[in-house]
Amino acid sequence: MTESIPTDSAQAEDSTEPLLTVEGLRTKFATDAGSLVAVDGVDFTVEKGETVCIVGESGSGKTVATESITGLIDQPPGMIEGKIRFNGHSLTSMTESELRSVRGNEITHIFQNPQEAMNHCYTVGWQIVEAIKIHDEDVTDAEAKARAVDMLDRVGIDNASSRFTDYPHEFSGGQKQRIMIAMALVTDPDLLIADEPTTALDVTVQGQILQLLNDLQDEFEMGILLVTHDLGVVAQIADRIVVMYAGKVMERGSVFDIFDTPSHPYTQQLLDCLPGRGSAVGGIPGKLPDPTNHPDGCRFAPRCAHAVDACKTGSQPEEITIEGDHSVSCVYYTAGYDRSVVEPPSSESTGKKTEVEYSDD
Amino acid sequence: MTEPLLSVRDLQKHYPIKKGWLNRQVGAARAVDGISFDIQEGETLGIVGESGCGKSTAATSIVRLEEPTAGEVIFNGSGRGGASRNADGTHPNDVTRFDRRELKRFRRDVQMIFQDPSSSFDPRMPIGDTVAEMLIVHGMNDKHRRRAIVEDLLERVGLSGSDYDRYPHEFSGGQKQRIALARALVLNPSLIVADEPVSALDVSVKAEILGLIRDLQAEFDLSLLFISHDMSVIREICDRVAVMYLGEIVEIGDTETVFADPQHPYTEALLSAIPVPDPRSRTEQIELTGTVPSPTNPPSGCRFHTRCHRVIQPDGTDIDQESWRGLLNLRDSIAADEVDIEQIRELAQASEPEVTVETQIRSEFGIASLADSVLDSAVTEAIEQLAADRQAVAAETLAEVVWTPCEKREPPETTHSDGHVSRCLLYEHDQPETVAADD
Amino acid sequence: MATERPDRFDQIDWDEIAGSTGRELSVNLKLMLLTGTPVVLLGLYDHFVVGAREATFERLGEDLGLASQFEAIGLTFDPSSLDILFVFTLFLFLWFVLLPLYQNPRMTRYYWKEFKRNRPAVVSLLWLGLIFIGGVIGPFFISMPEQNLIAAYQPPVFGSVDQVHVSQCMGSIENGRCHGTWEYPLGTNRGGEDVFAAVVHGMTVTMQIAFITTTIVAAIGITFGTVSAYAGGWADEIMMRFTDIILSFPTLLFFLLILYIYGAGLGMFILVFAAFGWGGTARYVRSKALSVSEEEFVKATRISGAGTYRIVRRHIVPNTASSVITQLTLIIPGFLLAEAQLAYLGIGDTAVPTWGQLISSGRNAIDFAPWIVLVPGTVLFFTILAFNFLGDALLDALNPKAESEAGGE
Repeated sequence: MTESIPTDSAQAEDSTEPLLTVEGLRTKFATDAGSLVAVDGVDFTVEKGETVCIVGESGSGKTVATESITGLIDQPPGMIEGKIRFNGHSLTSMTESELRSVRGNEITHIFQNPQEAMNHCYTVGWQIVEAIKIHDEDVTDAEAKARAVDMLDRVGIDNASSRFTDYPHEFSGGQKQRIMIAMALVTDPDLLIADEPTTALDVTVQGQILQLLNDLQDEFEMGILLVTHDLGVVAQIADRIVVMYAGKVMERGSVFDIFDTPSHPYTQQLLDCLPGRGSAVGGIPGKLPDPTNHPDGCRFAPRCAHAVDACKTGSQPEEITIEGDHSVSCVYYTAGYDRSVVEPPSSESTGKKTEVEYSDD
Repeated sequence: MTEPLLSVRDLQKHYPIKKGWLNRQVGAARAVDGISFDIQEGETLGIVGESGCGKSTAATSIVRLEEPTAGEVIFNGSGRGGASRNADGTHPNDVTRFDRRELKRFRRDVQMIFQDPSSSFDPRMPIGDTVAEMLIVHGMNDKHRRRAIVEDLLERVGLSGSDYDRYPHEFSGGQKQRIALARALVLNPSLIVADEPVSALDVSVKAEILGLIRDLQAEFDLSLLFISHDMSVIREICDRVAVMYLGEIVEIGDTETVFADPQHPYTEALLSAIPVPDPRSRTEQIELTGTVPSPTNPPSGCRFHTRCHRVIQPDGTDIDQESWRGLLNLRDSIAADEVDIEQIRELAQASEPEVTVETQIRSEFGIASLADSVLDSAVTEAIEQLAADRQAVAAETLAEVVWTPCEKREPPETTHSDGHVSRCLLYEHDQPETVAADD
Repeated sequence: MATERPDRFDQIDWDEIAGSTGRELSVNLKLMLLTGTPVVLLGLYDHFVVGAREATFERLGEDLGLASQFEAIGLTFDPSSLDILFVFTLFLFLWFVLLPLYQNPRMTRYYWKEFKRNRPAVVSLLWLGLIFIGGVIGPFFISMPEQNLIAAYQPPVFGSVDQVHVSQCMGSIENGRCHGTWEYPLGTNRGGEDVFAAVVHGMTVTMQIAFITTTIVAAIGITFGTVSAYAGGWADEIMMRFTDIILSFPTLLFFLLILYIYGAGLGMFILVFAAFGWGGTARYVRSKALSVSEEEFVKATRISGAGTYRIVRRHIVPNTASSVITQLTLIIPGFLLAEAQLAYLGIGDTAVPTWGQLISSGRNAIDFAPWIVLVPGTVLFFTILAFNFLGDALLDALNPKAESEAGGE
């Protein structure tokens, strides 16, 4: 048992805080129609060097949840409650100016539409140099420029040194997203929040951007929090997945948990929508509940094929741990219910891909 | 062989580029540059390609929202079948030659669905009126009958008749695409052209709409021309698929065949881009370097050769394919005077440890060292010339030894199996002997 | 037709229908024709038949042989051609603005919901509503202010003025100060004209300026803008350069020129300023029309086989409306101010009791009789402010797209 010492140290590391901890996050908006609760008590963590994906349909509150982390939500009309800890600091107790320095330095964002996130009056090189200078005031012009070109090169802009002086409109959509990534990474952030970074792009480019994020993550050892509606994207990049619906977490687990044994009926139906995997063509019947007036019980109950009376009363079921990190918020997993009703058919997932090379490493 | 519902022959759409005081035409953007295909009755043909490949322009030219520059679109639907060519070689069913009356009749037979649900409805008109407007245009003056028809149709696409009076802003993206389907259907057409109808939708809604399209297609015996950049959507819904690149069709065939056995390198690249919903197969996809070239001045020979990962090396050259790609890229960049030697010099000096200009350029283009000594010394020489500010000489030096057959000749069509045709020089020698031998 | 026709889209016998492409007249247009035609006829009659000193309706009654009946119902007054034009624009407003709001209750509710978020704009709307009603109905109940030198400089009802300024005090005199009476609730001016009556009649003039210029500017601007956008090419180029000329035309100097050579009334003022005021609207409409015509719903309508007229009338024009209305609410205050300024300088139409005239009549007495300037000045100020607030709120409210975009995640 000579390996007991490293195990201990690993445990010691375990006891340290994750990079990002979100606990009981609740984001509300005051509207004419009443209080709109976009995010209703959501917990998740992101470890260093890990990719966590928040998955859900439009209107599930996933974007609001990530924007709440760095206070990108205007308050009022927004209102953020809950605990958000990042790198050992509480983001919720920070002032706006402290938050601003976290945002753009330690936590950076990339968004769905690179078109709108860029300043079209300046060259891309200038914009990246500017980002470097804000982050590091001592840097010389030449150094900043060298770093900017290096970064452009690393995100896959061909002929980076010459394109340094080009304006945003001279780049294609995919290249712009690459530049946005370069801009987000020059400050060497600990956490990158990517909100639907590939949705506005052609499929050919989507894969490349995901690949790029994956490669850069290894290089920069940062955590990535990825928000998307597309589980196909998630399979390629995620370590862990949080499935959100109508402001609540339905299921969470490792990417293998979610894809092999999707346990919540919602997750199962989301997966079935994927081309090439789905059996149920026709999407998920019904639509998201009105965010100003959520249904009682499980939020998904009105659209769920397995819903029983217990699903429609009280509040969202507690998250039940199935195995390890894999937990699900569904009454069928509580005592007294037959969970086999909603459990995934075992033949489909475990039978198809037997435990190959990836099984443990 | 049955007559196809729609035959497109050598369709071209060029946008003139005008300059100067007198608006003289100095060139043309060749958005669609000679495409041909057929759609049979009840069939779904997909056109797939990246943004800017001309697929949407092809759609709007076929339905004559824009006037095509040249070519024929022969529509044999609604009792027009069986016509033969006129004495002067024109076809009586050629949509591009339809007069006003014929065109209006044609509008009832061919309808379109657009990509962006947020802009496909007049924000100031109840959606029922928007659908009913189609009926008014074609002369149905009975208000109550119009309403009855539209309400019935709204129910068929999964909404309710009472949605008639609601406004577009009251609907979600998926619901709007349902209404768009209702609008396209209300004149009972035989062909619907769908331009990226699900690209702007969530995955779950996407599946819903695709399912609906398929059901309606079966129920009303529709033919579909389905345009998308997403191969996975094409696979879900299309019988046949045409792959478009820079205004040309590079491969066409049955969806199953094309997916199982893609022939053109571009098709390969598109297929490899489909995200696999399985965390265990994180495959490296084929990366297409560079961007789609401008249609104003498309590359010579095979238009894809500037980005192709399987671009052919001339006889006598045999280096690894990635370096070959980098070499071609370097040559093209120098020729286009895109390599900013000052910038590179500055960078080379700034990097830690300091490197030479040559190393810097080589690393940027991924051609660190080449096995072929002739090529390697050509690169060195070209960079030296470039450093000495002799860009033209540098370009020439490289061009002498770095060239590819792909840029010299236009690839001919190769038939791989029945109806599966591609255009790539790689298969030049398979044709036509092998096919003949198979028979 | 007795046979039951199927009401399913795939069972329509189009061959039976397709021939009958008669263009229907909308209810709005029918009503407009019904009500507008008599007004136009009356206007023509007034212009060509009725003499300058005759009262229009009196003459009409005589001509129709119905003089006694007309007199019995009080139809004896003499509308000016400006009044007739005003009535015509009121009908336009009624059938093409108010009626559509009633016809599309869902959209109206939505507009109202958006609009009422803006509190100052709601107050502005109430204020303008007051001015409108006062302007339209007021003159029927309150007669034109008349000169009455004896009653000059009467103070408002709760105010007072030093006795020396008043030739004969209508109210009580206490401590050497003349107090106001209900006979002249807002006092009188130098000519003894009732300020209240003058303000009410000023409302009529204000509304006439607002409605008539709006109609002219909108009609020319929308036509010019859409035609220019749709024609394209040389026609577009020429039309837009012409618009540039209109925009850079020194309207005020031109009006002064006309004034000095021919003399000019309020009608000429409206005509000249409206005729050179549409440039901005045309430009706005053109750019908006160009962007709307690129929208997919226009393509979808084109592919239905609809002609250009239908697309412009049903889709382009309604969608330029929000920018046009905003533009107009900014133009109207400009006209009102211009009119007031000209009147103040003493070169306005003295025959018409505008607020500007009233202000101008009080400028020499401002030290002891400030109400003559203050009352119409305040009313004018708030009216102009209200138009500006209204324009701002309408721009937000009339844009249903903005919300749907913000609503999506």
